Amino acid sequence: MQMPEPDQNVLDRRDEICRTLRQLVPADCVIDSRESMRAYDADGLSAYRQLPLAVVLPETVEQIAAIMKWCHQNGVKVVPRGAGTSLSGGALPLADAVLLGLGKFNRILETDYENRCVVAQPGVTNLAITKAVEADGFYYAPDPSSQIACSVGGNVAENSGGVHCLKYGLTTNNLLGIELVTIEGEILRLGGKHLDAGDYDLLGVMTGSEGLLGVVSEVTLRILQKPATARALLVGFEDTGDAGTAVGDIIAAGIIPAGMEMMDGLAIQAAEDFANAGYPREAAALLIIELDGPEVEVDALIERVEAIVRKAGASSVRVSQSEEERNLFWAGRKSAFPAVGRISPDYLCMDGTIPRRRLPDMMRRMASLSQQYGLRVANVFHAGDGNLHPLILFDANQPGELERAEDFGADILRSCVEMGGVLTGEHGVGVEKRDLMTIQFTEDDLKQQQRLKCAFDPGHLLNPGKMFPQLHRCAELGRLHVHKGKLPHPDLPRF
Amino acid sequence: MTDFQVSNLGEVAEAVQQAMAQKSHLEVRATGTKRHLGRAASYDHVLDVSGMSGIIDYQPEELVLTLRAATPMDLVEAALAEARQMLAFEPPSMTRILGEAEPGMRGTIGGLVATNLSGPRRLTAGAARDYLLGFEAVSGRGEFFKSGGKVMKNVTGYDLSKLMCGSFGTLGVMDEITLKTLPAPETSRSLILGADDVAGAVSTIARIFASPHEPGASAILPAVIAAEEGVDSGSPFTIIIRLEGIEASVADRLGHLQAMTGGDELAEAGSIKLWQRIRDVQPLAEKPLDIWKVSCAPADAAQVLDSLDTGLQVRTIIDWAGGLVWVAGSSPQIGPALRKAVAGLDSGFAMLVRDVGVTREKIEPFEPLSGGMYELHKRVKASFDPLGVLNFERMHEGI
Repeated sequence: MQMPEPDQNVLDRRDEICRTLRQLVPADCVIDSRESMRAYDADGLSAYRQLPLAVVLPETVEQIAAIMKWCHQNGVKVVPRGAGTSLSGGALPLADAVLLGLGKFNRILETDYENRCVVAQPGVTNLAITKAVEADGFYYAPDPSSQIACSVGGNVAENSGGVHCLKYGLTTNNLLGIELVTIEGEILRLGGKHLDAGDYDLLGVMTGSEGLLGVVSEVTLRILQKPATARALLVGFEDTGDAGTAVGDIIAAGIIPAGMEMMDGLAIQAAEDFANAGYPREAAALLIIELDGPEVEVDALIERVEAIVRKAGASSVRVSQSEEERNLFWAGRKSAFPAVGRISPDYLCMDGTIPRRRLPDMMRRMASLSQQYGLRVANVFHAGDGNLHPLILFDANQPGELERAEDFGADILRSCVEMGGVLTGEHGVGVEKRDLMTIQFTEDDLKQQQRLKCAFDPGHLLNPGKMFPQLHRCAELGRLHVHKGKLPHPDLPRF
Repeated sequence: MTDFQVSNLGEVAEAVQQAMAQKSHLEVRATGTKRHLGRAASYDHVLDVSGMSGIIDYQPEELVLTLRAATPMDLVEAALAEARQMLAFEPPSMTRILGEAEPGMRGTIGGLVATNLSGPRRLTAGAARDYLLGFEAVSGRGEFFKSGGKVMKNVTGYDLSKLMCGSFGTLGVMDEITLKTLPAPETSRSLILGADDVAGAVSTIARIFASPHEPGASAILPAVIAAEEGVDSGSPFTIIIRLEGIEASVADRLGHLQAMTGGDELAEAGSIKLWQRIRDVQPLAEKPLDIWKVSCAPADAAQVLDSLDTGLQVRTIIDWAGGLVWVAGSSPQIGPALRKAVAGLDSGFAMLVRDVGVTREKIEPFEPLSGGMYELHKRVKASFDPLGVLNFERMHEGI
């Protein structure tokens, strides 16, 4: 992975930059020794490591603004970082960039039950939001699997999802407002406790912008009343296609489960070896279908879903009879990644989305790619929304295997786009999928996105080298091409 | 004034290029049902996009609907009804309050997305912006671009879909758009309760939302409007709570809420009709009054209404559990009073939706933007439409 060439001029000014940072924030909030910076040299995509120029951990929004303003005026790049759990390298440091960590922004500022929201600083963990309100019967819906560690500010940057987003949405659907610090050091408020506004939805644009547009210094999150009850079905199939059909039939019957997860044979066996959840080892595909809501509703829908999966050819059906059993059903799925980690020295976790009806085609494609590359692949899917998480098994100690695994992964993502899907459903582009963006987007699509970037960050100082395969200068992007009688898209249908 | 009649994005690009060359401004228009929303800007030419109509692909079991932007809402809703699905944000019909277009005309899906209008279910299900999965468009630079996709879960690149929603056609002209659909509820019924004042009503609603009985929508009507609508609780204010879902669930939840709060049931037919009228702001539509829309934190609804002098004789409806306050009246003092009230809140905005007495030439229909926000908006606009070709100044001066 080629990162932008570090600016030698900035590297040469390192001492001066660190001195200045120590004037902008308390001296102990700047980390610049190589040993101490090691803790920040990677995020969840640990195959890539890089020491930053310096780490700064501000304590107030005014300090963030001062750092941003100074960096902007002095042409110094900034990489924002929450808890560093990104799976796509979104928080990967750059040698010539200040790493701006939000770890000290760890307070919940307000729990507001009258307006059903929580106001929190960006370094608070996802799970801490739910913990803060669960005694009063509320919770925060988005639940990425890293929720114990990942920060809500990072959730905004990545538009994080989770197993329940089919019914409850991604971060973007549960975020009411943010305080934003621009690279110019301006503090702006987008959204709030109200719902509609008469301006551009910059809150929506910020969500999932991977730290390229600004730094989030406060979030206002919608909280929901906890459902009265939840029950799950564990359904085995001898044929993956039948499992796919069952998923489609459930939704066609007007039922939106709280979660609907699928695992393939290899994933089932690895998970069962690891968690002893009682999964049917012989099944080619397993569905975990969870329904939540009022008890009468859940009971009625469980019956309907059971009838649907049996009709679709299920080889085994179990319905949770207790909270303990429901948690056991999930235990295997939730430990799928470590379970796969046990059967292989290394694995790559991919994250594409396809139209759900293409699932059988995708399974066949993956089987043939697996043969072609000589690497095994285990699959866990968020089946309800077509989001795939193929885990490619490899051994980094074998020369060339990492590269082969990466090529295999790229081919899977290419297939996702070919089948009408997208490169990433919830992990983000970051550095990992940066160079694949041209598969999904044309040059013009990417240029328009970068023009929007220029509106927020005209000097390309925020998190450069992420998301876009090629950096264009803002002046070049802004140039207009008006040629009378000579149109920019000769291939499009005309009058 | 010549019009451009376009039927595909290639033609849109050509028209925009011509406008760029002539430095002229285009008004993007299909059926024109929402022309009276926003600022009364003037344009050199109309870009008539009504030819870009039709459903391209609808896969109910995928919850995905792809269609062309000028597809009439009637056609969209008929297709959804056939599959027993819906656009969960409950698209309102604004023609009754905005007038001009033919009665019964519901506008197009593109107009709906561009104005980000949503109905009572906005509170629990989100707005149009939460359901636009992707689109293809031509920018004010005369260039084709797309964003998002045709799948439900996607974080590839910036989420430009959010930006297109509610941008009133100032950034791009959309053709193909993809929306997420959801199953329509099997049953819908309501609970009617009394309240002495707005603050009391809002806190009763908060108590109901803190229960596990899943209210889906909740409005507050003053006695005079409750009486007109035939749902008078006998108190100064009437709270209406809507419950949706499968029959057994709705009956069960209704029973629990009645035990918790008292109140009467409004059966399905009456409930559907009432919520449709609330959705379309019809109780305020019939008299020739200015109509303001205030979006605020639910608990701030009382403060917003208290800002209005009792002598002003306004008619109001409160939706979104207190978070949406509709105010109709004829006094020119209403707008400034609401703007002042909103300025005193942590967050919120006031928008002039219908102008009869106070004209939108005299008062900005959208809440004016502050320094830093205005600058950022100007730059965002310029990144899509540097010459102001598309719907220039429809939302804000200079944008």
